[in-house]
Amino acid sequence: MAAILEIRDLTFTHEGASEPLFRELSLSVEEGQHILLKGPSGSGKSSLLRLICRLAAPDSGIIRYRGTPVSEMPPATLRSRVAYVAQIPRMVDGTLEENLLLPFAFASNARRSAPDRALLERMLDEFYLGGIGLDRPAMKLSTGQQQRVALLRTLLLEPDLLLLDEPTSALDPESAAMVFSIMERLNREKGKTLLTVTHSDYRPEGPQVALYRIENRTLSLQP
Amino acid sequence: MTTSAIIDISTGQLLLALVFILTAQLSSFVFRLGLHRDIAVGTLRTFAQLFLMGYVLTYILHSDSFWLVVGVFAVMVTSAVFIVKGRVNEKQVPYLLPTFITMLLSYFTTAVFVSALIIGSAPWWEPRYFIPAGGMVIGNSMSALAISIERFFRELRQQRETVEMKLCLGADYREASADIFRGAVKAGMIPSINAMMGVGLVFIPGMMSGQILAGADPQVAIRYQIVVMLMLVGSTAVSSVAVMLLIRRRCFGSGEEPLLSPE
Repeated sequence: MAAILEIRDLTFTHEGASEPLFRELSLSVEEGQHILLKGPSGSGKSSLLRLICRLAAPDSGIIRYRGTPVSEMPPATLRSRVAYVAQIPRMVDGTLEENLLLPFAFASNARRSAPDRALLERMLDEFYLGGIGLDRPAMKLSTGQQQRVALLRTLLLEPDLLLLDEPTSALDPESAAMVFSIMERLNREKGKTLLTVTHSDYRPEGPQVALYRIENRTLSLQP
Repeated sequence: MTTSAIIDISTGQLLLALVFILTAQLSSFVFRLGLHRDIAVGTLRTFAQLFLMGYVLTYILHSDSFWLVVGVFAVMVTSAVFIVKGRVNEKQVPYLLPTFITMLLSYFTTAVFVSALIIGSAPWWEPRYFIPAGGMVIGNSMSALAISIERFFRELRQQRETVEMKLCLGADYREASADIFRGAVKAGMIPSINAMMGVGLVFIPGMMSGQILAGADPQVAIRYQIVVMLMLVGSTAVSSVAVMLLIRRRCFGSGEEPLLSPE
């Protein structure tokens, strides 16, 4: 397996903080892997994901996506390949369909063809959102439903690597189970590489799964 | 009725107008609005600045020095930038220099256009036309700019997660902040557009009233006023869009990540 993501000696300090959040952190993610990242609140798990997709800038160190430093990639290109899904899903005013097709209005996605309604309906079924209706206002969906819509919306861009920031922390157990099931399918059946920050006890099985813990400014592989 | 010489306002009569300030202070006191200091300072500044301006204007309007006129114009723009700074209160993004340069260029162009092409004064910088036209453009657009900039920064902070969501779906910083940009520019422009709707019906503009009080033909005063109304909408639109375009880029880092911390 080839490394899709290489992080070397990454140090990051929040603006205004006197101490770095983490120091000289390194991690290699191979194609098809599912990395689970755990650690106490404020240890830097979410910050690490944000650094990978350039929503924040490191003090020092380098992050490479397929060998290219992410700092040298156009941000929109990077983010369509390395997709970040935030902890709290965000919808825009409009229908479910308008929200799902939102990325196709952006210039960097102009070459991609937007999925038609039939395909969207099929995908909604796969994401346990069947029967909701594409014309339903997205803001009226529950947080659990919005989280699945946010995940589906990101996947429509067919990213190589998914960065999931506590995707189930705001969800009830039933919705969380649905999201975990989707994640497992994406990883096992579709071969997507996942880097998931989580507080839960979720631990899928398989040789492609690796658990890391970030604590006291360092990252360590867990058994 | 015949047009007579304009009635002078004596010092005593001028002080009588302070009754209005007393009523404002009374409202502030009774309803605990906390505005008494601002009202007092504003009153003192009105007296001081306008009397000073009166003396300066008397000198400038009779001046034939190009550099003096342009210098006064530059001072007016500089003062306006500091007033905008006072209202916006943003420390994370350096917006003052682009704001100053845009204000100077756009207001100068507007004032030259009005005095040289529409009024046809010769030379184009004739202070009697150039300074009042510039003053109105600066005063009006300054308020619009303060509204636009303040709203843009505030919304960018409040909607940071939505902006990030769009960035993560492939938007560039312009696309991710397009709605906020439009909302901010529109908020600044609405007062000038509303003024065009209400002028002559709801209110009589100060410049026109002043000209008529000073004995000018109302037909001429009206033409000047129409030019002023159109000039203000145009200069507000141009300066707001230009300033916002320049400061928007400064709100995002090299990875097009939002720099303003959430509230």
